[in-house]
Amino acid sequence: MKRMEINITVNGRKHELYVSPDRTLLEVLREELNLTGTKKGCDDSNCGVCTVLFDGMAVKSCTMLIPQANGHSITTIEGLERENSLHPLQQSFIDHFAVQCGFCTPGMILTAKAILDENPDATEEDIREGLHGNVCRCVGYKKVVESIEAVRDGEYSESCGEV
Amino acid sequence: MRFEQYYEPKTTEECIRLLEEYGADCKILAGGTDLVPRLKNKIWRPQAVIGIGSLPDIDTIKVDQNGLELGACAKLRKISMDPSLAKDYKVIMEAAGNVSSMQIRNVATIGGNACNASPSADAIHGLIAMGAKAVIAGPEGVREVAVEDLFAGPGKTVLTRGELLLKFKVEAPKAGTGAVYKKFAIRGDTDISIVGVGCGITLKDDGTIEAVRISLSAVAPKPIRAAEAEKLLLGKKLTDELLDLAAETAENNCTPITDQRATAAYRKEMVRVWTRHAVKEAYERAKSV
Repeated sequence: MKRMEINITVNGRKHELYVSPDRTLLEVLREELNLTGTKKGCDDSNCGVCTVLFDGMAVKSCTMLIPQANGHSITTIEGLERENSLHPLQQSFIDHFAVQCGFCTPGMILTAKAILDENPDATEEDIREGLHGNVCRCVGYKKVVESIEAVRDGEYSESCGEV
Repeated sequence: MRFEQYYEPKTTEECIRLLEEYGADCKILAGGTDLVPRLKNKIWRPQAVIGIGSLPDIDTIKVDQNGLELGACAKLRKISMDPSLAKDYKVIMEAAGNVSSMQIRNVATIGGNACNASPSADAIHGLIAMGAKAVIAGPEGVREVAVEDLFAGPGKTVLTRGELLLKFKVEAPKAGTGAVYKKFAIRGDTDISIVGVGCGITLKDDGTIEAVRISLSAVAPKPIRAAEAEKLLLGKKLTDELLDLAAETAENNCTPITDQRATAAYRKEMVRVWTRHAVKEAYERAKSV
């Protein structure tokens, strides 16, 4: 198929790509930009492991065609860590043992960031409602919610710039 | 390869021309949350995909004293959180907020929820409860269809070759109007509805029901109105007996199927239960405004 020009900003870096418009955002992130932190799970927008931030909103990148992302700004899990330090949410997930196999974690953390960016006072219920679209099949959700609550409560405020 | 050609028309005329040219060989891309999985699973193999996100005003949400206009590409989550809808169009916010997860609602559109024509679509019941009209553009010009008349069967709408859903129009509700949408599903919003019931009620000053709309989701090949139950309620004051009778009538109005989510018999019973809840709550809301 004829390729088209796609301009996207990923993790703050501008990219001019020539890709086939039938590819998904997930495929382009993983295969063209080598950002393999974003995972491919069900590939059907059920499990949420492919979650990225699209202009700051959590979306499932496996069911978004690349032309839909043209001109927009994407943040993947690679975009969260800072120089010499992890993002507060990443550190909190580690400290609270919210990770077992880790496959769902990038999506969980990005969804968590979207929840807290939008509502810094999100209650446990808000957090659980927001995480509805992210499935974990090993740890369960208790530790995940605790990790997010710890960041919300400012336990990581020193390294916490934007959340 | 999932399709041969991708177009992103900038004007409605150009879009209609493309839709006419390709006919059944093309699919419209709005949010893509229903389209893309079907392209990937080869359920649909269109020659062309037409992205409508660049059409003028296609995603606007506009409220004024005459009513509400919702562009076909208005995102469900935007609708569900828009403070300008909170006073008069709460049911539209609620129904849109009942669709799937946050990630999906951030992308999925109200027009897509309608045109996908799923019997269990949630978001459109807010529109039906408010008596909304769908504005359709086509080669012959623009026409308007009541939202409940938009559907022809599972996955099928009344849109013909070359036609495109542009927006929804809702008239500003009369004083004394209340509406609600109730979704019943095992795993909350992320799950597909077992049964959904929308209800809009307008009360006269003396408390009698001046107008009523009851819509049912997931219990027929397309979204339906419970017309018999509506007739029963019209011109009366709501009592517990009348409520029970209306709920029973709605139960007899629908023709659900048995699938992995529920049996037909259970669905019928749940129509009775949730119609009672929906009518009662719409009535309470109508009384309180």
